[in-house]
Amino acid sequence: MTITGTAPQLSDRVLAELTDALGGEYVLTSKTARYNRARVPAPFPVHRWRERVPDLVVLPGSAEQVAEVVRIANAHRIPIVPRDGGTGLTDGAVPERRGIVVDVKRLDDIKEIDLDNRTCTVGTGINMLKLNEVLGAHGLIYPDDPASYPCSLVGGRIGTSGWSLVGSRFGHTRDLVLSFELVLPTGKLIRVGDGGGRKVSKSSSGYQLKHLFMGHQGTLGIATEATLKLYPKPEAEFSPFWAFPDFDSAYRCVGELARAGVATFAGAVLFDEWKVDYLRRDDEAYIPQPADVRALVCAVAYGNDDEVRAGGRRLLRIARDAGARYLGDEISHGDWAARHDRYATPLHGRTPAGQVAPMSWHCEDAAINYTNLPAVRREWHSIVARLRDKHPIFDDWGMFFYTSADTGVDYLTEIDVGIWEQELDDAAWAAWVDAKRDIAAVALNHGGSISACHGSCREGEVDLVPLELGGGYDVMLQVKRALDPNNIMNPGKYGLQRAYEEAP
Amino acid sequence: MSAYRFEEQHTPPPARQVTDVAVERFEHIFEVDPKLMTVHVAQQLFPNWDTLRIAASRGDHLEWMHRHWAAEAVSGQKLLDELDAGDGDR
Ligand SMILES: Cc1cc2nc3c(=O)[nH]c(=O)nc-3n(C[C@H](O)[C@H](O)[C@H](O)COP(=O)(O)OP(=O)(O)OC[C@H]3O[C@@H](n4cnc5c(N)ncnc54)[C@H](O)[C@@H]3O)c2cc1C
Repeated sequence: MTITGTAPQLSDRVLAELTDALGGEYVLTSKTARYNRARVPAPFPVHRWRERVPDLVVLPGSAEQVAEVVRIANAHRIPIVPRDGGTGLTDGAVPERRGIVVDVKRLDDIKEIDLDNRTCTVGTGINMLKLNEVLGAHGLIYPDDPASYPCSLVGGRIGTSGWSLVGSRFGHTRDLVLSFELVLPTGKLIRVGDGGGRKVSKSSSGYQLKHLFMGHQGTLGIATEATLKLYPKPEAEFSPFWAFPDFDSAYRCVGELARAGVATFAGAVLFDEWKVDYLRRDDEAYIPQPADVRALVCAVAYGNDDEVRAGGRRLLRIARDAGARYLGDEISHGDWAARHDRYATPLHGRTPAGQVAPMSWHCEDAAINYTNLPAVRREWHSIVARLRDKHPIFDDWGMFFYTSADTGVDYLTEIDVGIWEQELDDAAWAAWVDAKRDIAAVALNHGGSISACHGSCREGEVDLVPLELGGGYDVMLQVKRALDPNNIMNPGKYGLQRAYEEAP
Repeated sequence: MSAYRFEEQHTPPPARQVTDVAVERFEHIFEVDPKLMTVHVAQQLFPNWDTLRIAASRGDHLEWMHRHWAAEAVSGQKLLDELDAGDGDR
């Protein structure tokens, strides 16, 4: 079977079926509704925007309505793309082949808060910040904390298998979502978790399907409801920031902090010289720092007050012995609070002449082991330097390395690149795609994974996903074809069209 | 309360050069040096009260975020002072 090309313009019949299922108010065909759901914050070739626009947008109000939309799409072989907050950075929620965008934001209800078992059950259109405002009244928190905390939503966290700023303490989305309900590409509604129970955190029964249906970027179904693990709202937060005269001592310090086994430790971050230079251009906290500040480390701890203080003393002692200079409470508190919401990143860069130019932020991320961070850093900066030499519309905004676990085994490794989107043309875009591929190749050469956080669906990096996953990629193709026989669910992503073109 | 004077609001205090790329007009509010914003970006006319409002509301937002995540933000300086005094080495 070969399914290629774009969807046919949706017929009146399809429109009528969708309107019957949802009510006309929730079937949107206007240009604004469609164009607004044709992009995400990651820079893209603006001159090709039109290629990504869906034929229409639906806003279902229940799992049954989602299932009905999927059944209609499957019957008519129309591509369908799930979309939640639209903050994903790998174009997951952007249609590649037109069709229907299923915006799940109306599924935003809190269905249950179970105080005794410490869980809540919510619609997947809810945002974590909004949920935590309600949970806070019960002394509870759902600690899934991406740097897009105020605007990404639970379903998108499932769709990307998101990474959390406090994941070294509380786990990431895959650990915090106990189970969820999803609509398969054929329209069937199922629930997946660890085993069968809705609120079970560990089961050995059957295949562990929860992981399969997490991070698939909307290619295997649409999550409609999720049951989440809750923690006591922390009594105390501790977030020291330290300065270092060079990268190497900061690197040694972050490793020691992460390996210290402090129970309240929620994460540690290392910022390199390029990042410090970038911060000095615009960031209130760093502009006045002395010139000998060349690298930064921050740590964060959450929990009961006495435990945070005890752990905090140990972290401070480790940093002091590693030659760190404490940056003071004001910077430490302010900078940490700002990390929950990186939309505040200044959206401008510099031309080689030093002039300010409007630029959008793009980050390339990977999962890299501690011992390989210095080598990856060197290679990534030289890739971006070569790119900027040829195309000055790109700007290196520095790198950071952020613990993913409580043992310091691997780090979310990110290089931030400013891109002057309005100046992008086909040649610059092609150079960018090549650079992205090179960046992903470095991660793989050093035994890492192409993405710790955002997914690896974009042009460039996506070419290397079969290499990363090896035989596992063939299993992905088989699973895709088995669950989505007509390739309607977010077609084109992850190169999965191959499942329909060749015998996997 | 002081009266609103258009002229006064549109005359920013003199800029102090803080680094080769940044200036400071109001205490702790750093701005990109206007010399760097002459070719590719146009500068907006900004009344003084609006600059101060934006900075203050950012401060409010960060305060709110601390309270949202935990009852208290522990002072690193205090813990460090204890450590340096030898009380925290247990
Ligand atoms: C400033 C900024 C900071 C960020 N920081 C982080 C970070 O620290 N950690 C991190 O992990 N990410 C981060 N991201 C990326 C992004 O916020 C995450 O990937 C987030 O999980 C996406 O959620 P969303 O609700 O916006 O999903 P969307 O962008 O709408 O969708 C993301 C993917 O999930 C699929 N999807 C959406 N809803 C569903 C559903 N109900 N069922 C199945 N699939 C679905 C979509 O098809 C798409 O493939 C950041 C983004 C920005 C802009």
